[in-house]
Amino acid sequence: MTVSTSSWLREQARPVRRLLAAGVAAGGAQAVLLCVGAWLIAWVLARAVLAGRGLGDLWSAVAALVAIALARFALGLWQRRATFEAGAQVGERVRRALEQRLRQLGPGWAAQQSRGDIVTRSVDGVQALVPYYAGYLPQVALTAVIPVVILLAALPADPWSALILLLTAPLVPLFMILVGGAAERASQRRWSRLRRLGARFMDALAGLTTLRLCRATGREAALLAATGEAYRKETMAVLRIAFLSALVLEFFATVSIAVLAVLLGFRLMWGTLGFEQGLFVLLLAPELFLPLRALGTQRHLRMEAAAAAEDLVALLAEPVTGTASGPTSPPRASLASQHIALTFEGVSFGYEPDRQVLRELDLVVEAGTMLTLVGASGSGKSTLFNLLLGFATSQAGRILVNGRDLAALDLLAWRKHISWVSQRAHVFHGSLRDNLMIAAPDSDETRLRRALKAAALPEVVARLPQGLDTPLGEHGHGLSGGERQRLALARAWLRDTPVLLLDEPTQHLDAATAALIDAAVAALAVGRTVIRIAHRLDHLAEDARVAVLADGLIVESGRVAELRAARGAFARLLAADLAA
Amino acid sequence: MSGASMPGVGTWALCRRLFGLMRQQRRWMLLGLALAVLSALSGIGLLAVSGHFITSMALVGAGGAAINYYTPAALIRLFAIVRTGGRYAERLVTHEATLRMLARLRVWLFGRLVPLAPAALGELRSAELFSRLRSDVDALEHAYLGVLIPLLGALVVVLVVVVVSALYLPALGLPLLLFFLFGAVWLPRWALRRGRAPGEIVVACDEAMRELVSDGLRGRAELALYGAEDAHAAQMTAVAARQRKAQRQLDRLQALGSASVLLTAQLAAVCSLILGLSALRGGGLGGPDLVMLVLLVPAAFEAVTPLPEAWAQLGATLASARRVFDLADTPVPVPDPVASSPTIHQHDLCLRAVRLRYADNGPWALDGVDLDLPQGRRIALVGASGAGKSSLVAALTRLYPCTGSITLGGTPLHAWRGDDLLAQIAVVEQRPYLFDASLRDNLCLARPEASEAELERVIQLAQLGGYVVALPQGLRTWVGEDGVRVSGGEARRIAIARALLVDPPILVLDEPTEGLDAGTVAQLYTALDAAMHGRSVLLVTHRLGHLAQLVDEVATMRDGRIVACVAVASYLAQQSSQALHAPPAVDGRTRVPIRDVRL
Repeated sequence: MTVSTSSWLREQARPVRRLLAAGVAAGGAQAVLLCVGAWLIAWVLARAVLAGRGLGDLWSAVAALVAIALARFALGLWQRRATFEAGAQVGERVRRALEQRLRQLGPGWAAQQSRGDIVTRSVDGVQALVPYYAGYLPQVALTAVIPVVILLAALPADPWSALILLLTAPLVPLFMILVGGAAERASQRRWSRLRRLGARFMDALAGLTTLRLCRATGREAALLAATGEAYRKETMAVLRIAFLSALVLEFFATVSIAVLAVLLGFRLMWGTLGFEQGLFVLLLAPELFLPLRALGTQRHLRMEAAAAAEDLVALLAEPVTGTASGPTSPPRASLASQHIALTFEGVSFGYEPDRQVLRELDLVVEAGTMLTLVGASGSGKSTLFNLLLGFATSQAGRILVNGRDLAALDLLAWRKHISWVSQRAHVFHGSLRDNLMIAAPDSDETRLRRALKAAALPEVVARLPQGLDTPLGEHGHGLSGGERQRLALARAWLRDTPVLLLDEPTQHLDAATAALIDAAVAALAVGRTVIRIAHRLDHLAEDARVAVLADGLIVESGRVAELRAARGAFARLLAADLAA
Repeated sequence: MSGASMPGVGTWALCRRLFGLMRQQRRWMLLGLALAVLSALSGIGLLAVSGHFITSMALVGAGGAAINYYTPAALIRLFAIVRTGGRYAERLVTHEATLRMLARLRVWLFGRLVPLAPAALGELRSAELFSRLRSDVDALEHAYLGVLIPLLGALVVVLVVVVVSALYLPALGLPLLLFFLFGAVWLPRWALRRGRAPGEIVVACDEAMRELVSDGLRGRAELALYGAEDAHAAQMTAVAARQRKAQRQLDRLQALGSASVLLTAQLAAVCSLILGLSALRGGGLGGPDLVMLVLLVPAAFEAVTPLPEAWAQLGATLASARRVFDLADTPVPVPDPVASSPTIHQHDLCLRAVRLRYADNGPWALDGVDLDLPQGRRIALVGASGAGKSSLVAALTRLYPCTGSITLGGTPLHAWRGDDLLAQIAVVEQRPYLFDASLRDNLCLARPEASEAELERVIQLAQLGGYVVALPQGLRTWVGEDGVRVSGGEARRIAIARALLVDPPILVLDEPTEGLDAGTVAQLYTALDAAMHGRSVLLVTHRLGHLAQLVDEVATMRDGRIVACVAVASYLAQQSSQALHAPPAVDGRTRVPIRDVRL
């Protein structure tokens, strides 16, 4: 565990320290009650055995014992309640911080992340933190508190026995550190190997088809058996050492009781000690070691939380680059127009300082017209969209919306003017209806139906068992690439915005689907300001207006027919495209 | 025990089968159990005898008759040693048994799953089901340590303690048994039943949270654009709150369970105190015996403490076992023939009226395919996505059941054992799986005995030479989950090299050039042409560039059928003429062409 991780873990405990303190206090109170109960039992038994008293004389003490048991029961519940809340609050706080962070990092960053990795870190990671605060931290405190309470109780009853316990109890952690340091390292190594072995097994299962195709299943099975066996031998050698720390704890716990019992016995026989005091100490002795034992079983919580914290700290420290400011930005001017002209004036942008994607780019798109952007992959076409969408802000130059600087506009209001048909529209978990409504939450049923029709989706809805309300996504019915395109079109239709950004699919669609999408796009484009990214050039209409993007600049623009005749950058791209 | 909590007959069969899997480790398992019981009883005995001993000694000190104090003192030492050593030995032995079982369980499951892949394991491709299998296997591996040892251990310990107590004080036997039944069986099972509903909510919320986080990552652009980020965050907060509420309920139940066990232990001690005090008065019980009983009872409850966890584990383990057995019992979709594979002298591949579908009532992915691939012929298979190209590859590998006839060298494909067939037909998958192993291991998967020179040859053929040279650790580079990231194009070329290492009579490639630039494609095709001299190639692709360097014919698929098969030159000529004469616009001048016409 690195210093920063452990200090981060400690820092998270600060807001819940009252709850943690309450939990520890309840635990301490239980220890006090435990001592009182032990003393009552010793008192009753001493009266009964030595003085021949019966139940009639002792019933009040017996009743007190029941009351103490009930009080310990209530305190136990209360303790868990407090520590649970502590863990839950830390978990929720960290979860919110993460959510906030992911939001600040924005769509550009999100697109580059592995989904499984982020989900694991932010769901399992947060869950791994909770038991650290709810279980491990209170137990650490109790391991310090409870033995002190017990020793203080034993001291007046029999100082000699208290001395024996005082000597053995601190020896336990000492020896556990001596033996346990090596043992813990060994056991950590063992766990990481076990995980590795398990991962290998699951790896073999995940690649089972490839293994079959390579005729390697027999060999893999033999290998699994052999590695399993080798691992067992190796692990058992490690375990013989790893379990030594538990052996030390067990040894001290049992031996101190045995030594105590024998010494108590002889001192009782010699008459140098009262029976009541002797029995009281004997009853307390095993309790002294219980918190230590409990801590031992919870040590893995700390290891897991530390591992999770390392991941979380890294995620929370992820630098925000080139992204538009978050929701904290001051209110800005809004825009209310249905005819929007877009102008790029010397716009420069780079995701990294020394690598410019756009270099003083100039571009004009008049209101109600369509411009097709072409260029090699990586030439900055998508970056241009990101700037327009406000997912990134230019480092130099201005983007003008009807002559007003985009940077001065209220971002949320501006976005209401844009629709974006991306290559792969995200399908949210939920129904098709949810997936449409997210784009335009106030759409009614008629509008939804019309949007579906406009995007040629009714046949897809007809195929779904519960129609519009069928759950989509990973667990339900998936949408094919072409259907996702149409979903994006339906969303754009619902939004009915003056600006439309289109990113053509590179995926191969069958002729019928392609024709459906073509028609839907054509109908949608009418009367709007459209910027379209085209990935294939061999099929652009002769009169389409095109701008060629290369090295962060518009190097050529005009009608397709003119550009083809000019034999410049466009013609070269077209030739390369035809050769692929 | 209430009737509702009694496991059904199916459960017993499941238990028998589960522990049947562990039969080979029976000795280790029994030894582990014996040691667990022995050390638990020693711990209890240590306290009980100590109590007895000091009371006797106190009575001597108070003027009673002298006693033999050697025996109890020796017993105390004995119990202390057995307890300490027993715990250590118990841990070693139970782990030994678990590790032995673990290795066997995995090999068993692997052997059962091999013939099912991929046809019957389609669902395993989903990450969620795969991770469930992972946790199921984990649960089965811990069945012995986490379920069997605590449950059976507690049973033996409780019985011994009840019998011993009843021998000293017969009246105590029954109440004690009831206290134990309450604390060890009724209470944990009650908590378990009550916890089922909140438990399900926790799992459902967990799932929902994963989906929301995933949406927040993959759909971040849409959320930002639609101004839905606040709504999305609020949704997550609501799910988290619902989950927290259910977790709180579960935690209260757990707290109630463990506090109740402690309470029961104390009440049982008070009960033995009350009964003992009366018996002491009546002369039926000695003073030292009374102290012993009062110490014995709560100590015995220590064996009960791990039971709530064990009961919960039992339910989860049985559910896991049921799922794993169900999976392992899936009928093999394409069983290997018993007889050995035929011997052939030529490698003509011939498909007639082949149909294949992935679900019983699903659409036909192949719907009557006829194709001839005589030895030495090279055919490219083209068609839109979903036309059935990859399904045709699947049919050739005998991994999926299909109808119609496929013959290889005149012998029916179903007469071949899978491994023998795949020595004749090497396949490069569209998405080849790379194992978490070195690059060399990944390359040598199909031929571990390949020499250095052979490896070098196929690396060059697959156009991987530059890639491997650029790796600092060369062939020792670790790829896969823990290693360097490999792009899709690189993975495909690794798979090509892997297939070429087999030196097959027939090579089938599924979209091998995806993600490669035109120059590399040309070099790859030229290299494959030379390497496969005189042998057959089936190339599934959607890219037409440089195709003539490798193939003789182009077969076009549509809707699960081969609709045309023409010489490559005439196919390419036909395509380029189509590209020059752009197709008519759909609705006049507003047409926005967005598709790729060439296929």
